[in-house]
Amino acid sequence: MNPYVLAILLSSLGLGTTLTFASSHWLLAWMGLEINTLAITPLMAQHHHPRAVEATTKYFLTQATAAAMILFASTTNAWMTGEWSINDLTNPIASTMFMTALALKIGLAPMHFWLPEVLQGLDLTTGLILSTWQKLAPFALIIQTAQTIDPTLLTLLGATSTLVGGWGGLNQTQLRKILAYSSIAHMGWMIIVIQYAPQLTLIALGTYIIMTSAAFLTLKTSFTTKINTLATTWSKNPILTSATALALLSLGGLPPLTGFMPKWLILQELTKQDLPIIATVMALAALISLYFYLRLCYAMTLTISPNTTNSTTPWRIQTTQTLLPLALFTTTALGLLPMTPTIMMLTT
Amino acid sequence: MTYFMFLLLMALVVGLVAVASNPTPYFAALGLVVAAGVGCGVLVGHGGSFLSLVLFLIYLGGMLVVFAYSAALAAEPFPEAWGSRSVLGYVLVYLLGVSLVAGLFWGGWYEGSWVVVDGLKEFSILRGDISGVAVMYSSGGGMLVICAWVLLLTLLVVLELTRGLSRGTLRAV
Repeated sequence: MNPYVLAILLSSLGLGTTLTFASSHWLLAWMGLEINTLAITPLMAQHHHPRAVEATTKYFLTQATAAAMILFASTTNAWMTGEWSINDLTNPIASTMFMTALALKIGLAPMHFWLPEVLQGLDLTTGLILSTWQKLAPFALIIQTAQTIDPTLLTLLGATSTLVGGWGGLNQTQLRKILAYSSIAHMGWMIIVIQYAPQLTLIALGTYIIMTSAAFLTLKTSFTTKINTLATTWSKNPILTSATALALLSLGGLPPLTGFMPKWLILQELTKQDLPIIATVMALAALISLYFYLRLCYAMTLTISPNTTNSTTPWRIQTTQTLLPLALFTTTALGLLPMTPTIMMLTT
Repeated sequence: MTYFMFLLLMALVVGLVAVASNPTPYFAALGLVVAAGVGCGVLVGHGGSFLSLVLFLIYLGGMLVVFAYSAALAAEPFPEAWGSRSVLGYVLVYLLGVSLVAGLFWGGWYEGSWVVVDGLKEFSILRGDISGVAVMYSSGGGMLVICAWVLLLTLLVVLELTRGLSRGTLRAV
């Protein structure tokens, strides 16, 4: 793409999220969300094949619907209560509509159907931006308004998302769809605790961004998008393969890796709030997700290498990709659990 | 006055149903014209005459005219208006939905009155909409600059999406 256009699109992506973060008026927050949607559209369609265009169209339609619903909810609230401020969303119709719109924006179940198809049509870098950066602005709004939203809706969205994220990902062989369902499941974990302890939502969001960045960047470095090709990464980059196995288990939430931190803290908060059944449901649903992460680890490391090969392994030429972000994210995705008290203090 | 506003609002709903029921884009543009026109009438009844004028001139007279010309370029040999079976199905479904929701929210004779944009009915020079525009240029200057940036961004997005004619993103270009 033309570098000037690319620079303007990326800076507009930054502008949109910053605008939503900095706003206390609904219109400005809506503007930020729309800027994000607009700016990522050409990035998604830059590889001009029909699958990417289809993904762009689906993404644009769902995000535009969600943004229109947000506008509708905020004008309803302004009509009923006269308040345009984000923190004063007191009308129950408006707050429910608003939560539904934001659930559509970030891909929470039952409004998740667009996410696997959209992610499948994109290349891995744009998919990474979609899964991480585009989630920040809606979450800023959700965290600010969570106290006024019906608790049943939040719990339903969270539990359904985790279950759907687990079950939907079970039959997938395409890695981008697996990562989409993993995103849905992690969003479910973030939403379930937001009414009790919003800082745990921030921790969950932060650790999810780190872990999924590690996953996406690994797949980008190894040029793999299916489990078939994932099985041959050990011959291209053995160190990365072993580190990725651990990063996938971190996504699954196993101790002593980073992914355990949010799940542990959220389950602890749920039991402190006297909600043992919801906590059990969430833990069991995370088990379903863990199955397909384990399947990826199995395909990558636990079956084939190291063994005697019956063909020549590929030449390991020096790669031209920048590996520093991958190294950073992978290390952080594996080793952050002992920092739990520091991170909790950072987000309080 | 109330009856007239009621007529305009009914026409608005019918126009929006005509757009949403998926006819040929040329007829959908007609539905948009009707909806925007009566929407302007509703705005005038509210006291927002300046905003209604701006809407008429810029939205109807600028953007919708351009859209109608572009839709005319994409003419079909067998256009589907609101009488054809598939479109009529959508029309009936939407009208049914609207009447259901209206029945749900129907109030008594005491519910709702037609109020204007600001407090005094007709005795002010600075109405709500004009002073809104003035505030947008003074206190809301930052938002205005961001709106200008978004307009530029939209131009670049559209140019990028249609770049490359039929080898690019949109093969129909």
